[in-house]
Amino acid sequence: MGFLKNKSCRQQITDEHRPCQDSGRREFLKKAVKAAAIGGTAVVTGCQAPGLLGSKEEFALQFQEYFKAHYRLMTEKERDATINRLERLAKLQKNVDVQISSKEAMPGVLFGYGFNVTRCEGYMECVSACVRENNLDRKSNTQYIRIFEMEPGQMTPDAGKGKFFNEVPVDGRFYMGAQCNHCDNAPCIKACPTKATYKEPDGIVVVDYDWCIGCRYCMAACPYYGRRFNWNEPVVPVKEITKKQHYLGNRQRRRGQMEKCTFCVQRTREGRLPACAEACPTGARIFGNLLDPKSEIRFVLENKKVFRWKEELGTDPKFWYFID
Amino acid sequence: MTQKSSVRQMIGFITDVTRWSLSGGIGYQLFLCLLVVFMMLGVFAYLVQWKLGLAVTHMSDIVSWGFYIANFTFLVGVAAAAVMLILPSYIFKDKDFHHVVIIGEVVAIGALVMSMTFVFVDLGRPLQGWHILPIIGLFNWPSSLLTWDILVLNVYLVLNMSIPAYILYCHYNNTEPDPRKYRPFVFISIFWAFGIHLITAFLYEGLPARPFWNNPLMGPRFLASAFAAGPALITVLLVIIHNTTVFKIPKQTFNKLRLIIVISAIINLIMLFSEVFKEFYFPTHHSLSAEYLYFGLDGHNSLVPWIWTAISINIIGTLLLAFNPGKNRPLLLLPACILLFVGIWIEKGIGLIVPGLVPSPLGEVVSYAPSWVEISIALGILALGMFVVTMLLKPALIIEHRFKSEKPS
Amino acid sequence: MKTPKQKKYGLATVLGLIVILTGWNAYSEKSGVVQTIKNAAAPFDNGSVESVPPAPEDTVLAQVRYQGGVFRVETRKDKVKRFQCSQCHNNQPVAIANAVETAHGDITLNHGYKVKQLACFTCHDKDNRDVLITEKGTKVDMDHSYQLCGQCHFRQKKDWIGGAHGKRVSWWAGERVVKNCASCHDPHAPRFEKRWPKTYSRPFTE
Repeated sequence: MGFLKNKSCRQQITDEHRPCQDSGRREFLKKAVKAAAIGGTAVVTGCQAPGLLGSKEEFALQFQEYFKAHYRLMTEKERDATINRLERLAKLQKNVDVQISSKEAMPGVLFGYGFNVTRCEGYMECVSACVRENNLDRKSNTQYIRIFEMEPGQMTPDAGKGKFFNEVPVDGRFYMGAQCNHCDNAPCIKACPTKATYKEPDGIVVVDYDWCIGCRYCMAACPYYGRRFNWNEPVVPVKEITKKQHYLGNRQRRRGQMEKCTFCVQRTREGRLPACAEACPTGARIFGNLLDPKSEIRFVLENKKVFRWKEELGTDPKFWYFID
Repeated sequence: MTQKSSVRQMIGFITDVTRWSLSGGIGYQLFLCLLVVFMMLGVFAYLVQWKLGLAVTHMSDIVSWGFYIANFTFLVGVAAAAVMLILPSYIFKDKDFHHVVIIGEVVAIGALVMSMTFVFVDLGRPLQGWHILPIIGLFNWPSSLLTWDILVLNVYLVLNMSIPAYILYCHYNNTEPDPRKYRPFVFISIFWAFGIHLITAFLYEGLPARPFWNNPLMGPRFLASAFAAGPALITVLLVIIHNTTVFKIPKQTFNKLRLIIVISAIINLIMLFSEVFKEFYFPTHHSLSAEYLYFGLDGHNSLVPWIWTAISINIIGTLLLAFNPGKNRPLLLLPACILLFVGIWIEKGIGLIVPGLVPSPLGEVVSYAPSWVEISIALGILALGMFVVTMLLKPALIIEHRFKSEKPS
Repeated sequence: MKTPKQKKYGLATVLGLIVILTGWNAYSEKSGVVQTIKNAAAPFDNGSVESVPPAPEDTVLAQVRYQGGVFRVETRKDKVKRFQCSQCHNNQPVAIANAVETAHGDITLNHGYKVKQLACFTCHDKDNRDVLITEKGTKVDMDHSYQLCGQCHFRQKKDWIGGAHGKRVSWWAGERVVKNCASCHDPHAPRFEKRWPKTYSRPFTE
């Protein structure tokens, strides 16, 4: 017997020679269609009400944002358009005026970083400055930079203690920091299925946040724990938002996007030091242009005993550690 | 017989298939309702995840892949295992396997649907999924193994849907399917099945950042465990079909399947031994992941009971199937297959993903257990898979049974 | 339908191509970052970065050159509260009650305690308190204290000139401005005190 067959219908036809008033099936379908129509209208009108999906303007901006291309493939006009939309969205959603830059890489520049292991005293000023500069999520305490308390005999950050909170420096301990190494042969770039993460001409490995689909393959591929994922919608107190932003840098990220240290692209492309280098009180962080033979980072590479972390993996990082 | 137009035939085929899928006794209807209930639970949990973000799972920046990807990995293996039925039935023209090959293909479809759904629920921004499509998005092929995986899984799904559809359609119309039309695709699908699971293995194998995964044995190990777990599941399904429907399966089919399972399971155990030897004969810094899995690290030992249970039931299942004390009696075959299946599910699922990510590249160790959201969504997807398999299998078996009984022997 | 022989040749060609291309790719010279750096000999015009503002006013041209030529150092004299020292110290007795306590009470002298404990007049010129004096008797302006500190700390001085020690102020491009020794190190008790870190890494919940 068919699940959908209606016995009473056939009975009606044979008994009373009446056209079948198929009360069961047809009535159910009619009611279902009516309910769907009413429900659908309710949802659509409800969604348009302010508060549920934001104002109409916000919705329109987000709608346009949804269809935009990968940043690398955008024309100048498209870039300006998306920046205007993002700035307007920031104003609407958080009532904050931000300036998002789309400044390109400078020719003849390849950024490199030197970390002086002898000078780091574990103050973590760099961590704090990075969190503020890059508008990192306060709710999950995202930190691009990690500092480790190391014992003598340990060579690399993965051997150290990452969660210390005591007076520093402790006698008999030294300190090392770890962050995205901006590898020249980055495994994360190779792994990303949508090419959302890529290397800019000045060597910075960046993420086009809005292109990222959140698969987290890059996170599995990174040997240096350089990448962070927004498991929840990031929370940044409005007063603490850094307003000078870059599209590829510290602009507002959303839930489900991957993010990472960008060597403070919003600062370094203007010629400023990244927030961590500027904040370090002991001068343990050296930043500069690797292609400039006279730069400080080149002096460090040529005169100091430098080494790179996990060199054997062939990732070719642009982050060197050295000991005085 | 009147000459029906092909469109009318097609419509008749689809209507009949739908009717057969949905009709059945009270037990069948209850079973379907139960599956729908679990699917609704999965949908509800996914809505929670949609609203609050992936933070409702217990994944973190260290264990960035968890229960979802673990199940995805395992289910791709189950899907690939259909080849163990297709290969004998089409290439070696084995009559017994030919009788049940359709069941293997339907299981493959179900497993593929489940795998792809698991990937979908794991994504941080699934709405932006079009970014991965070629032409309208950016497709990082051939660099990214995820793109390879998407490509091969979808092609395999299409192959596994179209070949049985064509054969069933012919059988429905009481005609013999034309081998020239489907044999080349069968040939392709055999190599493709090996391909999908090798590529899924390469997803992990190709990451130098994760020493637990970065070994050449991942690919062969995946194949061996898939060809043990998949046919085990198919055996269980065959027992159910044999006992609940008129579609009877002869004993030698079970015996042949058992042989395939035993050989694959033994190879799997040999490979496991090789991995364990490498990790523990001379432990290095790279062995910390294995230590975390088998013995616990820094007080984090939540995975230890799981892995030892998994290996034990794996060995017990293999031995039971190998020595066959019940002489193919379903009473002993069935639990052995279930034990083997569950053991491999644990070992290849959570027992592979979490130790690969722990300790983190910075040496930090954490524990991971799926949250209620992950478990609910996984149950929902399991119900979805079972629903797909049931919906496809019932009409398929009806068509096959009708064709076989009406065919002059 | 191709003949079996044609099929075999076709397959062999394809496989051969794959082998050759893979080998060529694997053995071709892959330039890494280190090679790129070694090849980069062309000078980079630091002034080409327009967004860098001119050097701040409280800097002076250093008396030494670094590998890139001249650079600027932060001044020190304007940061010392009671500079000019010759206001009090002008070869006459200081006629202020408790002058030592008032003017120099905040100074703890703890420099070189293990190797060579320094005294006030090791560095300060007795005759002209506005300048510093080296062991040899050379007068050193307070803005250029590195000439003095570099007597003992010559390694750090070499590193500081090159850029491996000390700190560049704010901008990696443009004219090089660095902090002088006393910007970071208290010259009287240069050892950094222990302190608490600015923040911490939150433990994971599991």
